[in-house]
Amino acid sequence: MSSRAALAVGVAALTVATSGCTVANSGRGGYDPGTLRIVLSQEPPTLEPCESSLTSTGIVVRSNITEPLIERDPNSGDLQPLLSTGWRQTSPTEWTFDIRSGVTFSNGAPFTAADAAFAVDRAVNSDLQCNVDGYVFGDEKLKVAAPNDTTLTIGTEKPDPILPLRVSFIEIVPRSTSTTEKVREPIGTGPYAIANWDFGQKLTLARNPTYWGAKPAFARAEYQWRSEGSVRAAMITNDETDIATGLGPEDGAGDLGVPFQNNETTALRMQATEPPLDDIRVRQAINYAVNRTGIVKALFRGLGEPASQLIPSGVVGYNDQLPLWPHDAEKAKALVAEAKADGVPVDRQIRLIGRTAQFPKIAETIEVIQSELADIGLNVKIEMMDTASQFLYQLRPFPANTGPYLLMIMHGNQAGDAAFTMDQYMLSDGPQAAYGTKAFDEKIRAAEGLTGEPRQDAFAKLFAEEPRDIMQMAYLAHMKGILGLARRVRYVPNSATGDEMRLGEMTPSGTDRTDAQ
Amino acid sequence: MFRFVRRRMYTSAVPLIIVLLGVFLLARLTGDPTNLYMSESATPEQRAAFAAKNGFDQPILTQLGDYFAGVAHLDFGTSLRTGESASEMAFRAFPATLQLAFVTMLLAVVGAVVIGCWAAYRPNSLADRFSSLLSMTAASIPDFWFAITGVWLFAVLMGWLPTSGVDSGVLSWILPVATLMIRPLGVLTQVVRGAMVSALSAPYVRLARSKGAGDLRVVTHHALRNAAAPALTVAGDLTVGLVNGAVVVEAIFGWPGIGKLMIDAILQRDFAVLQAAVLLTAVSIFVLNIAIDACYALLDARVREPARV
Repeated sequence: MSSRAALAVGVAALTVATSGCTVANSGRGGYDPGTLRIVLSQEPPTLEPCESSLTSTGIVVRSNITEPLIERDPNSGDLQPLLSTGWRQTSPTEWTFDIRSGVTFSNGAPFTAADAAFAVDRAVNSDLQCNVDGYVFGDEKLKVAAPNDTTLTIGTEKPDPILPLRVSFIEIVPRSTSTTEKVREPIGTGPYAIANWDFGQKLTLARNPTYWGAKPAFARAEYQWRSEGSVRAAMITNDETDIATGLGPEDGAGDLGVPFQNNETTALRMQATEPPLDDIRVRQAINYAVNRTGIVKALFRGLGEPASQLIPSGVVGYNDQLPLWPHDAEKAKALVAEAKADGVPVDRQIRLIGRTAQFPKIAETIEVIQSELADIGLNVKIEMMDTASQFLYQLRPFPANTGPYLLMIMHGNQAGDAAFTMDQYMLSDGPQAAYGTKAFDEKIRAAEGLTGEPRQDAFAKLFAEEPRDIMQMAYLAHMKGILGLARRVRYVPNSATGDEMRLGEMTPSGTDRTDAQ
Repeated sequence: MFRFVRRRMYTSAVPLIIVLLGVFLLARLTGDPTNLYMSESATPEQRAAFAAKNGFDQPILTQLGDYFAGVAHLDFGTSLRTGESASEMAFRAFPATLQLAFVTMLLAVVGAVVIGCWAAYRPNSLADRFSSLLSMTAASIPDFWFAITGVWLFAVLMGWLPTSGVDSGVLSWILPVATLMIRPLGVLTQVVRGAMVSALSAPYVRLARSKGAGDLRVVTHHALRNAAAPALTVAGDLTVGLVNGAVVVEAIFGWPGIGKLMIDAILQRDFAVLQAAVLLTAVSIFVLNIAIDACYALLDARVREPARV
């Protein structure tokens, strides 16, 4: 027995030793000063460029591997030339773009207007069901043409004054890209190209040697992913990564955690077609009951601002005169009592649906809101769901026979224009809207046809009208994110950082890193 | 012995099929993945096309039949999330989990035998009480708490270990293995101690002592051999749990194993990958159980052949 046992232990030890303590399915390790190390909260499911409006894909792909024709300055909101050097409206339903010459894709193929036309057509008109199509273009079909190598024309069905802004969401891919299947590892014109992707483990980008623009400071970028915020924060403090995304205030990044305004706004969406939520007094009562200022201060530790509308400042259409809906529990109770006296079934159970880990402290936020609503006499039951289950309630077509429910949503307007928010959440048949009116739809459509100051004013007016006439939402907060940033990297996060983290903007801050590799 | 193994294979096949059936049906009860994979503007026709392409438009029994037909041809489907072969994804992730489970159990068994024998040798002594306290504490600590505390203490505060990942050689193993090992070590120590206390008071041990056998020989050659059977049974169950339950550790430490793959597949409603991962895990557990039973039969002749009446 002892010899057999010794043999077994010996074989086991030999097996471990011969594995060299290397984990199966893992890449090589080691610190490289020319490599920028980034840890994300989740692995991108794909790097397909036409899916880049998905946060986990866009944060890697956009302006790193592929580039759009035009990019939006996240600070000023202005559109900047990129693969297009200029653009103009050449007829009410047509825009013309001048295409930059001398650009090549990372595979060496030259970039021309034909590639731009192909990429737009692929993203918007194909059957690929690209996310960017749904989010940015809706049902619209575009007429795309490339009369020569440096000219692209895009025709729309109706006049579209913000077409260049929409086009800024389309990442350009070469004509060799499949039009029948989405690609996981794309070719682009960006400053980096995919070097290696150990799925489940690590993604490495390497500097694109043929890049037409300024050479990025780091030779390589290495992405990893950890689902736990506290582990991501620990990686920053332990010098295992240079950038950590999606941190919460309690994760412990300390002074390496940099707060930034992240474009996201949280709100309770009310299913106003179901009693008792079909009574506007009940919806008003819910708004009076929610202590948004207290939640931001106590739960978010001040990382956010109480919200009066679904977009933050800096987005076209933001109404800076719109006051917060006041917190007044007594008034809320009176409204509920009044509705009850008129026969509204306020005792009917209302489901309060939240998505697990949607933002830091969501569970506590949902509990506080449930308590506040119970205090004013409503019967509210909490249901926490994972993303897939919550999506059934967030996106049309909504499930049938659900009863009344309040849904915690978090909306990020990546485009900087209220039209994208209005189309999604305020149109009566918007993909994520639970309620609306035809009259309000017409006002939205009218505002979307305007440009400049009139556009700003029209949207701002709509944000003021919506709570008064429709009140589909109880707004909670304009959120702030925390980015873990190592001292050796210089980078200023902005409102787009959560969706598009441009590696070219990151530079070494000290002398321990060079771009000599 | 061959008949014994064959008999165990037949009896283990039924639970295997039940597990596959359960996972298939439960996965589909969690909802339609269309919203996760289609754009917001997708028309009903496009959604229907997606469902048809992936077979979600078929009655559940038809889907089930197609799945088992595919399994029979070793076709486990394609990942909705990545477009890769589901079986390739599962096979790629599985070795990392096996490595982790194997090293963990090896260390847990060695540790439990040493501590359990030491405690049993002097029952109710200070050493025995101390080891009992340690093992009971270890068996009770939640792995999530232990993992996060370990990261904070040994990586952040002391800087001795990496927080996570698999790039730092042997150092990468310490926290994941310690987290996974803590419960098996506690449970096994208790089992070994109990079995050894009984064995050390048995007549054959007294006989061995009377014949002049030394303490070490009594423990290793006489008592431990007879105490091994219950420990082996428990160790087998714990190993099965590790292969199947390294989810938390893999998620926290970024370990590229099958537990993390399964969690991601569940969250993304990636049915093909989930089914492939569960099937691979279930088959492994099935093989592991047979191996454990075979070891048990080797140790105890009564298990090899049923009693003849």
